[in-house]
Amino acid sequence: MARTVILGAGIAGHTAALHLRRMLPKAHDVVVVSPNSKWNWIPSNIWVGIGRMTPEQVTFPLAPIYRRKGIEFHQALATELHGDGSAELPRPHVTVRYTDPARQGQEARLEYDYLVNATGPKLNFGATPGLGPDGHSWSVCTAGHATDAARAFAQVVGRLEAGDHQTLLIGMGHGTCTCQGAAFEYTFNAEHELTKAGVRDRAEVIYITNEVQLGDFGMDSMNFGTKRGIVPSHVFAESLFQERGVKAIMGAHVERVEPGVVHYELLDGTKGQQPFDFAMLLPPFRGADLKAFDREGADITSEVFAPSGFMKVDADYTPKPYEEWRASDWPRTYRSLRYDNVWAAGIAFAPPHPMSRPRTTPNGTAIAPAPPRTGMPSGVIGRAVAQTIAERVRHGAAGKVHTASMAEMGAACIASAGAGWLDGKAAAMTVFPIVPDPEKYGDAGRDTKETFGEIGLSAHWMKAMLHYLFLYKAKARPLWFLIPE
Amino acid sequence: MSNLTTFPNAPLPSDKELRARRNVVRQAWRFVVLNGKMLTMVTKGHH
Ligand SMILES: Cc1cc2nc3c(=O)[nH]c(=O)nc-3n(C[C@H](O)[C@H](O)[C@H](O)COP(=O)(O)OP(=O)(O)OC[C@H]3O[C@@H](n4cnc5c(N)ncnc54)[C@H](O)[C@@H]3O)c2cc1C
Repeated sequence: MARTVILGAGIAGHTAALHLRRMLPKAHDVVVVSPNSKWNWIPSNIWVGIGRMTPEQVTFPLAPIYRRKGIEFHQALATELHGDGSAELPRPHVTVRYTDPARQGQEARLEYDYLVNATGPKLNFGATPGLGPDGHSWSVCTAGHATDAARAFAQVVGRLEAGDHQTLLIGMGHGTCTCQGAAFEYTFNAEHELTKAGVRDRAEVIYITNEVQLGDFGMDSMNFGTKRGIVPSHVFAESLFQERGVKAIMGAHVERVEPGVVHYELLDGTKGQQPFDFAMLLPPFRGADLKAFDREGADITSEVFAPSGFMKVDADYTPKPYEEWRASDWPRTYRSLRYDNVWAAGIAFAPPHPMSRPRTTPNGTAIAPAPPRTGMPSGVIGRAVAQTIAERVRHGAAGKVHTASMAEMGAACIASAGAGWLDGKAAAMTVFPIVPDPEKYGDAGRDTKETFGEIGLSAHWMKAMLHYLFLYKAKARPLWFLIPE
Repeated sequence: MSNLTTFPNAPLPSDKELRARRNVVRQAWRFVVLNGKMLTMVTKGHH
């Protein structure tokens, strides 16, 4: 009898839990710990944030699914990892604090044989004074945030309809943010809605980003193979910005957000201000800030986790300059450096370094997009970790170790640029591999046959299809496992 | 000084391209092609 505890029920954790439950006989326990009672298809929060979808359309309660599948569910926040056990409880365990109304605030210790840390990102609004829904800007990172953003966006549309001019500022709320794709999507969805409402001419739409050029996406840009040759992703993105009349502030670190004005610093060290009537700015991410202790109770957090709070796994963390980064620095198995029975899946693992060249302003401010770990790799890693654990349960140390290196896997990203079955638009992009590998693919860094971008209505259909498909899969409906991550 | 950047030199889609992006028949075909590409990508990612 093996007991696997999975921390987090997002794309990586939920995928790992469902697959593991499917792969292992019921005699083995699969346990999920997550502070939220609901699952959220985060990519569709963009549509909630412009009022095109309700939060109910992008979320569903987890407990009934887990009950049906025979997965033990604790609505709780993991706080401590005791991978060697402790004086009072010799078996490896995690300390959790319940968040469900019945047990709110109570603590418990959950023992495990295998542990998956899939706690995703902590939304670090605190890194920028005034950033976020508790400050002076909106967010779409959770369904709740997106609902509030939609309300504020509707007010902007109302003021525009009344004849006022409005400035919408959308983008990254700190110099080390990732997830530029989400801000990009929100920008063009907002722009699309303003056009549909017939008020676009009175609105200024501005994208503020830590990318040194558009289309970087924290991936050191991409080179799309087309029939007409290689098209760099900045050309692809700039074309869309120019076509839709969206202006950009690039290479920016947002220093603080005050009511109606953002203060920022640029790569050359100059400082600027941008007034706004509506701002949707994404926060930087950090790890869930779990604490780790050894058997004697000594704090070993810095051994198990990187300073960013993400878990150290089988990557090469040797500090080295951009020129010396290698695709092989990236992890393959996601097993913890310290524990042989602990893995980190999805955003929870510490990347060895960014993908985009990190830069610093003359004032010493870092403007360095963090590497994205989007839905597809998060799901693929979650599944690979589940497969590895299932093998270990069945065959012990001889079990096959499944790998899912981001340097060997591709990713598809559909960036919505406006919703609508006949007038919708999206940019479909695929990259292979996710982590650039100049040693293998030369200056382009990636396979230009597999790396491409295309804008059109079909990509919007794809995005909408993925919404329904992944909700179906996450609800573990019949044959859900045939839907790939 | 404004730090707002526009991209006047960016190649804009021609009218033909814009029509193609909206043309339901053509886009239905692209939908099939895109699905194929994505599936290839997904299968390559599983080890
Ligand atoms: C607005 C937005 C739009 C996006 N759009 C796209 C897109 O179009 N395509 C795409 O591929 N990717 C997109 N992404 C990225 C995608 O959402 C992430 O890649 C994905 O959610 C990562 O999965 P994860 O499981 O690692 O983290 P998450 O999905 O964030 O899940 C983390 C889980 O851990 C739980 N948790 C947190 N702390 C603890 C703790 N201490 N103990 C226990 N549980 C904890 C959380 O409650 C959650 O259930 C988008 C992201 C955002 C923010």
